[in-house]
Amino acid sequence: MLASLKLLDLMADKSESMAKQWAKEVVKNPKTPYYHNCDQDKIIPQAAEFYQKLSRVYTDKDPFTAIQGFMGKFAEARFKEKVPLHEALYSIILMRRHIWLYAEFQAIFISIIEQHQALDSQLRTILMFDYITYAFTERYWELMNLEYAKKNKK
Amino acid sequence: MQAYAAKLIDLIELKAENIAKQWATDVMKHNRTPSYSSLPQDRVIERGVEFYRLFRQMSLADNSYEAAKTFSWRYAQECYREKIPLHEAVYALILLRRNLWLYAEFQGVFVTALEKQQAVESLNRTILMYDYVSYQVIEKYQELINGDVDKKLGSIKTMMMSKPISGIRSIYKSGLMGILLLGACILTYYYHATIGTGVIFTHLFYIPIILASIWWGKKGIFVAIFLGALILTSHALFLKTVPLVDDIIRALMFVVIGGVVGWLMDGIKKIEDLYKATIKI
Repeated sequence: MLASLKLLDLMADKSESMAKQWAKEVVKNPKTPYYHNCDQDKIIPQAAEFYQKLSRVYTDKDPFTAIQGFMGKFAEARFKEKVPLHEALYSIILMRRHIWLYAEFQAIFISIIEQHQALDSQLRTILMFDYITYAFTERYWELMNLEYAKKNKK
Repeated sequence: MQAYAAKLIDLIELKAENIAKQWATDVMKHNRTPSYSSLPQDRVIERGVEFYRLFRQMSLADNSYEAAKTFSWRYAQECYREKIPLHEAVYALILLRRNLWLYAEFQGVFVTALEKQQAVESLNRTILMYDYVSYQVIEKYQELINGDVDKKLGSIKTMMMSKPISGIRSIYKSGLMGILLLGACILTYYYHATIGTGVIFTHLFYIPIILASIWWGKKGIFVAIFLGALILTSHALFLKTVPLVDDIIRALMFVVIGGVVGWLMDGIKKIEDLYKATIKI
């Protein structure tokens, strides 16, 4: 867990820089065409806030409940914006990749010991994103069904 | 990549059935995948084996993304057919990946310092495959919903003439309706003025009435009103000796039928719009 703290600090302190890197990629990636016409300045705060919130729950013993809370709101926002589910999910995948890319670029795991710690950090990050993926898809799916039920009632 | 991932890939291929059994036990009990608990265990294991056996092919392909589709599309189709909610299908994928890694750890595949470094690379590769598969599964799942709705609404769409005919859809409908109404006028004149009878020809009027309501919903009632007015006017002009009651009832029935069909079609259109909006998301 201690090994993950380096990554956690990076996420908390450099959320804006990471978000900028993410935004540059998401507006070009062929798997996220929805974002291609988006203004980068508008989407950067989304990712920066995401990194901030993630850094707050990163060391929690049971982070699932907290993740469910903030990812629920994240899903609601993307649903409202009509971002297709698979694209929204891929944008989250890109957020994860950019944590790692940024860490590599900043060379936070240099020594042999640190390289060993890198595996721990990676496993922790993956676990977090497993929860994130599930919580996000669950809430988005729920919203789709709610919308259906609401319109059907009319 | 091949060198460091070879160990993991060999293990997965060799022990596909064992890992799949471990995954099946996990997914069928997990509180985030309750839909799997009612599925036959053999079928769940079979699905796991398929993923693990395809892992080499997916990992070593020049275009991993394309190679992953073989599994992803079939997985999405099966989950959709079995009515497994999307988030559960996605979590089952997460468990597929996790069990693969747990098994490798349990077997002590990465022991030495060098092997530990290789583990990071293997893990990266596994994650990349998982990213592709989850993206493709969600995309395919939504595509299946879309296809299903299109299929269910297919006959209605044909009736509604939803498919544009060289961009002149509304002109085509109006033109056809004009011809039908002209035919109704000629028929009314022929029966009332020439033959001097009000026999069953008015049943044919239901064709334009129902078509108008299907195409234009509640607004289609104007066609029914027009035809009702037509037979009443014609009756008053040419059949002065015949009682008007029958034609009044006929005219009322035109309006009732046109109204009911129009109201129902508006409801169907709402459902279609709703499905389209949901699918678009």
